[in-house]
Amino acid sequence: MALKVKVGLIGPLDMLKFKKLADVRRRAIEKSEAKPLPKTLVTNEKAKFIHPERQLVRIKEKRQNGPDAVTVVLESKDGKALAPFRAGQYISLSVEVGKTKTTRSYSLCGSPAWAEQGFYNITVKRVEEDGFVSPFIQDRWQVGDEIAISGPQGHLYYEPIRDEKKVLALAGGSGITPFVGMAYAIRDGYEDFDLTILFGSRTEADIVYRKELEELSAACDKIHVVHVLSDEEKPGFEHGFLTAELIRKYAAGEKVSLFMCGPQAMYNFLDGEIARLGYDRKHVRRELFGAIKDPRNQPDYPAGAKGGTFKARIIIHDKEYEIPASANEPLLIAIERAGIAAPSRCRSGECGWCRSRLLSGEVYIPAVTDGRREADKDFGYIHPCSSFPLSDVVLEVPGQYQSK
Amino acid sequence: MPKFDAVVIGAGNGGLAAACRLAKAGKKTLLIEQHNLPGGVASSFRRGRFEFETALHELCEFGSAENPGGCRQTIVDEFGLDINWYMVPDNFRVITTARDGSPIDATLPCGRENFVNKMEEYVPGCRKSVEAFFDLGTETLAAGKYMTASGGHPDSKLMQEKYPNFLRTAAYPVNRVLKALKMPDKAQDIMNTYWGYLGVDADHLSFMQYVNMVCLYVNHGAWIPEKTSNQLTTGLLERFRAMGGTAWFNCRAEEILFDAEEHVNGLRTTSGIVDTRYIICNANPSMVYANMVPQNILPDRERKLAAARRYSARMFVVYMGLNKSAEELGLKDYSYFLPQSADSVKEYESLKRIETNKYNIALCYNVVNPKASPEGTCIVSLTTTYMEDCWSEIDPKDYVKTKNKVASDMIDWFEEKTGIIIRPYIEEFEVATPWTFCRYASVPQGAAYGYELRDWDNMMPRMMMVREEYPLKGLRFCGAASIRGDGFNSAIFSGDMMGKLTLAQMKEEGC
Repeated sequence: MALKVKVGLIGPLDMLKFKKLADVRRRAIEKSEAKPLPKTLVTNEKAKFIHPERQLVRIKEKRQNGPDAVTVVLESKDGKALAPFRAGQYISLSVEVGKTKTTRSYSLCGSPAWAEQGFYNITVKRVEEDGFVSPFIQDRWQVGDEIAISGPQGHLYYEPIRDEKKVLALAGGSGITPFVGMAYAIRDGYEDFDLTILFGSRTEADIVYRKELEELSAACDKIHVVHVLSDEEKPGFEHGFLTAELIRKYAAGEKVSLFMCGPQAMYNFLDGEIARLGYDRKHVRRELFGAIKDPRNQPDYPAGAKGGTFKARIIIHDKEYEIPASANEPLLIAIERAGIAAPSRCRSGECGWCRSRLLSGEVYIPAVTDGRREADKDFGYIHPCSSFPLSDVVLEVPGQYQSK
Repeated sequence: MPKFDAVVIGAGNGGLAAACRLAKAGKKTLLIEQHNLPGGVASSFRRGRFEFETALHELCEFGSAENPGGCRQTIVDEFGLDINWYMVPDNFRVITTARDGSPIDATLPCGRENFVNKMEEYVPGCRKSVEAFFDLGTETLAAGKYMTASGGHPDSKLMQEKYPNFLRTAAYPVNRVLKALKMPDKAQDIMNTYWGYLGVDADHLSFMQYVNMVCLYVNHGAWIPEKTSNQLTTGLLERFRAMGGTAWFNCRAEEILFDAEEHVNGLRTTSGIVDTRYIICNANPSMVYANMVPQNILPDRERKLAAARRYSARMFVVYMGLNKSAEELGLKDYSYFLPQSADSVKEYESLKRIETNKYNIALCYNVVNPKASPEGTCIVSLTTTYMEDCWSEIDPKDYVKTKNKVASDMIDWFEEKTGIIIRPYIEEFEVATPWTFCRYASVPQGAAYGYELRDWDNMMPRMMMVREEYPLKGLRFCGAASIRGDGFNSAIFSGDMMGKLTLAQMKEEGC
């Protein structure tokens, strides 16, 4: 049976209606009012406020915090609020040292309330072996200097839908900073969970943020701090490393989420300790790993790869550069040392900000810092912050713009 | 100054298709994208040991190699994209309340015969009307194909002879036609399930556009790439490059330049000025006209059009990596549509406010793609949309609280409707709100669907007016905010079509 549908009372009028669809639309447009087009929209502006491409801030204050760390207070240039953050997140700041344009990420270690007033706190530990940035910041930054920083980012934060109500934080040295931020957030009502920080320092004199942590735990019964000294035995302090036994003791039989922040050696050690305790991955979260320092000693480093310095051809839009690249350093470092502006943020292989296209050559990507998308692996994309050259390479890098 | 035959702004699905079309024709083409990777909303992101699909539920119009849809013909056969795909075996499962108050829990399989049989099982006596729906759909698809092939100049007489039912129904909304087909109410309720994919309720959604989409899903099945949308979009980008195209990432378009004849004559970008006579823009026309075009040459018609339209669905997605497998959790279906009511008009109203929106579409990628996440885990996403700009009212201070409240309510709703418990197994958790879509895709209000396909502004009249739609010479638009509305396949179609129209214009103008 042939289909014969009519919708209106008289079928042929339905057809006429179809023919006139464009005319109906033309009339609807014509009778509308020609208002000036809005250049932006409230929702989009709010999105930009919480996720700015970059923020320009001024150094308000610099103060010593323990023997080798400096806390820097950054203030917004216009006195308005800085982008809000979830306690535990970090910012990536842009630094120019000589001709090197580089970035470093630092956890926000103040209260989220202070961001609303236009301030961020970061704490910069002097890491001589890590090169030149932290000494540069400590020695050369002056109150009143202006710097560019990213919006807050990173995933080491408390997520009530995912995490247990009790968090056991495992902090090593300057790895305390995200947890200081969390403690402030709990005190000031931005977060609601029970935070116990197992804070590893070498000696009592090395402890950073001691006074603040004491004040915070005194002010709020959800914040607990346990100092663990590795090089000193003193009454009132735990002694040794952060171990399975300590975790078990302070978890006290309750379900806890473990948050870790500290040096790579601490992560590697704790991986074994936590495995012994039988925690699943849902309950263990770790801050950025950082770049691998000794690629050639990694277990998955390709056997027989020769070291030395290779040639890297870097393509950015319609510009090309030829630069040296050492087998011992991530490609990103070689690019930055050559004075080329390239995007980067986490510098740990994770955030993908530096995602680039490897046109030729071979690289080594340590499994522990391989944060690439699956299809990217197939199509030859790498994160230069965690890729070490094994040969001469040609790399197409996204540009870096500053919008108006 | 670098010189290109054409520049495509934005590497979303539409921009990628436009760029591929131009490059395939041998045109020297530059594709610029403000982010560091292609895709716009069609991408992926990693958290822990999971990689999350950002947006794709089901690619429509794709089909198998033996029974290809138009989308496959374009991106696979013509552009040469070679990646693994999975077919989604069922169209959807819908759990809701019918307009008469009775419960609905229906799972509809792909393939017309299977689909119709199932419908008859759920609503005895509806077979004839559902068959008529698909007959009408077949005619509509054929008519659409003919009209596209005719380049916008169809022969009226031929149309009347071959596609009379199409002509008689095309100007009406879904509910009017289903009524004319004498479809039982409850069958209508189930048949209307997909309305959310177009973001307009069935009183205001063009029947022609809806029947088109449903038939494409039922005839060709729904498909997903093995390695998320990033595999589709980065794959298309590689094809564009292989065909000679140039792509610049982290490059933003700032101003479109025109000559004395008001023809496109260049583009100022954050990487400098590019010389070109043709631009295809995979961005929202209202925002581009407001910010990148000299106001004195912009016809008033564009201001009127912008004022007459409304932005469409503003997206909200909860992404969850679960530490149990789909089988362990009892997740058997790929997609669960969970509206409060099968009455799309009522439901559309409820989607205007955060407090009243309960609608959610749940997906478990592992049901179709065993490689979607590591063994012993699975990925579930919950999606809803907002039909008004209610997220503009949120204070940034309340943002996290608000998004977590919505997400938590959506998890509760999913668990209540399906009886499947997921909350204790959440290992990774991320939420994208309309603000997130503003951030990553720069879409106005987070409206990834472009403009509402409502009433007079549906796809058919937009397509009929394609030659007058973009009056500035050398400038066209593709993507969801273009002529065919939302959907990956529609975005790809629009990019391909704008590529072809640009090629024709180049020929006319001797370029």
